[in-house]
Amino acid sequence: MKKNFGMSAFAAGLILTAAGSAGFAQFQSGSYGSTKAAGIEQTATAPMSSDGNFSVASFPSFPPELAAGEGKAETESFCAMCHSTRYITMQPPLPAATWEAEVNKMTKAFGAPLPETTAKKIISYLQTQYTPESRKQ
Amino acid sequence: MHVRRHNISRRDAFKLLGAAGSGLALSHWLGAGAAFAQQKTVGQTIEPFTGPGPNPHWNSIGPYATEPQKAPLILLTDRPVQLETQRSYFRMAFTPNEAFYVRWHLSEIPNRIDLTDWKLKVEGNVNKPLGLSLNDLMEKFKPVSLAAVNQCSGNSRSRFQPRVPGGQWGNGAMGNAMWTGVRLRELLDAAGLKAGSAQVQFQGLETGSGPKGLGSNLFLKSLGLSDSVLDEALVAYLMNGEPLPMLNGFPVRLVVPGYFATYWMKCLTWIRVLTAPDENFWMKTGYRVPDTPRGNTTPEEVKAGSVKTVPITRMPVRSFLAWPDGSSKVPAGMSVTLRGIAFSGYGRVVKAEISEDGAKSWREAQLGEDHGAYSFRTWEAPWIPKTPGSYTVAVRATDEKGNTQPDELVWNPGGYLWNRIEKQEIVVGKAS
Repeated sequence: MKKNFGMSAFAAGLILTAAGSAGFAQFQSGSYGSTKAAGIEQTATAPMSSDGNFSVASFPSFPPELAAGEGKAETESFCAMCHSTRYITMQPPLPAATWEAEVNKMTKAFGAPLPETTAKKIISYLQTQYTPESRKQ
Repeated sequence: MHVRRHNISRRDAFKLLGAAGSGLALSHWLGAGAAFAQQKTVGQTIEPFTGPGPNPHWNSIGPYATEPQKAPLILLTDRPVQLETQRSYFRMAFTPNEAFYVRWHLSEIPNRIDLTDWKLKVEGNVNKPLGLSLNDLMEKFKPVSLAAVNQCSGNSRSRFQPRVPGGQWGNGAMGNAMWTGVRLRELLDAAGLKAGSAQVQFQGLETGSGPKGLGSNLFLKSLGLSDSVLDEALVAYLMNGEPLPMLNGFPVRLVVPGYFATYWMKCLTWIRVLTAPDENFWMKTGYRVPDTPRGNTTPEEVKAGSVKTVPITRMPVRSFLAWPDGSSKVPAGMSVTLRGIAFSGYGRVVKAEISEDGAKSWREAQLGEDHGAYSFRTWEAPWIPKTPGSYTVAVRATDEKGNTQPDELVWNPGGYLWNRIEKQEIVVGKAS
């Protein structure tokens, strides 16, 4: 530990403030990132009356950016009829057969009105962009 | 990227300090700063997806989002809404309403309910169909309070290997609340079950845009009338002593103590007595588990079509380390407290144990207050990591039926029933 004989009170104070107590404690401060982080906005309270209606604001949408590629437009418009396409981006990379089974589940078990050519296109898109071998984002 | 705040140049600094003549001290100061500049100090954004390996994080990896009446929670999906509760909330026995996870199945979920119009219907194979207002429920029936854990069947699905499709929950699709409401049995008795009644079906206000008769149009769940869980079930209008948030099922939701949340119908509006087993998608196809120990099977057995399945019911015993969470180092020699929660759908937790060596040796933790058989039970254990290094802290719980968490994986195609022992790497740093 260094002792700073002969330093003015001012300088000693500066050193103490900036570099920790009595000498040169090993610390670092004031590291701020240069990129802008996404904040979460606060929400305002909606007006209310004393009637029997209990309401909340609209549920916010957070559309994800799907991978660019053949079939993206069909995937966005048809899948989003029933659910957010976050259902796609939320998944881990899945094998091609699993994506095919998922789309078939939507059409067969859940009755999604997809023309067969569209279903094929969507399966192909998901198999091209969202498998363990291909997924980038 | 990193920026030092004391960004005065060497020359400016000499000007400042020149009068003091402490050049020696200054050069040490700036020299130290230059060494620190090598350290990486700015946190990176979490990866956008995990897999094909298991999700290595305690929670899922989505961004934070703020939905009506909720604190910022981890977003899985926005339509329908699925939100996960952050790990830090599991240091306490009761999960605050605003932090309670959210899981809906279909996209049309209520934004507005008119309580002058809304009635809870008890109908079907009954002598006297009922239509009860919220006020009727609060005034005409005896209020009952019960602490119970609500856990999504797919909680921790992102641990599965190989990964399975579905909501990629980390560990935060669970919460515990003090539920207050009316006993389901009282409502059924008031309506009077007719002979030939087999099941009771629950329907809430959520609907989907799929065709009528399919699971994409209605979410329906049923329980057998002979199931003893019905004797403990509540129709709850208070959650931790407050009205339920809309996203958690305002004005009333079904509480099925010990059972996975799939049965805990939100915005419960129809209680329907059936004369035959419910064969809708959410009973016959969805939420089923292999009829094997721990619901275990293999992709090969599934492919061969040899797996017999049954509807999911009770939650296996689980326990979690909430703190330390591995996001910061712990100074060697410091006495810290490991803490978290434990629960079981089979009865009260009677033991929680912790390990500092990756589940090789165990010692007992101190259990917190007993809020009832189906509640979270907090646990804590003092820990003094004496030497610097990396420690694997693990926790396991045992319930009153003698069920103890195993250290083995679970696999089934639905991604259900995960209850493996949780482990957390904790880095202990030198303190001298």
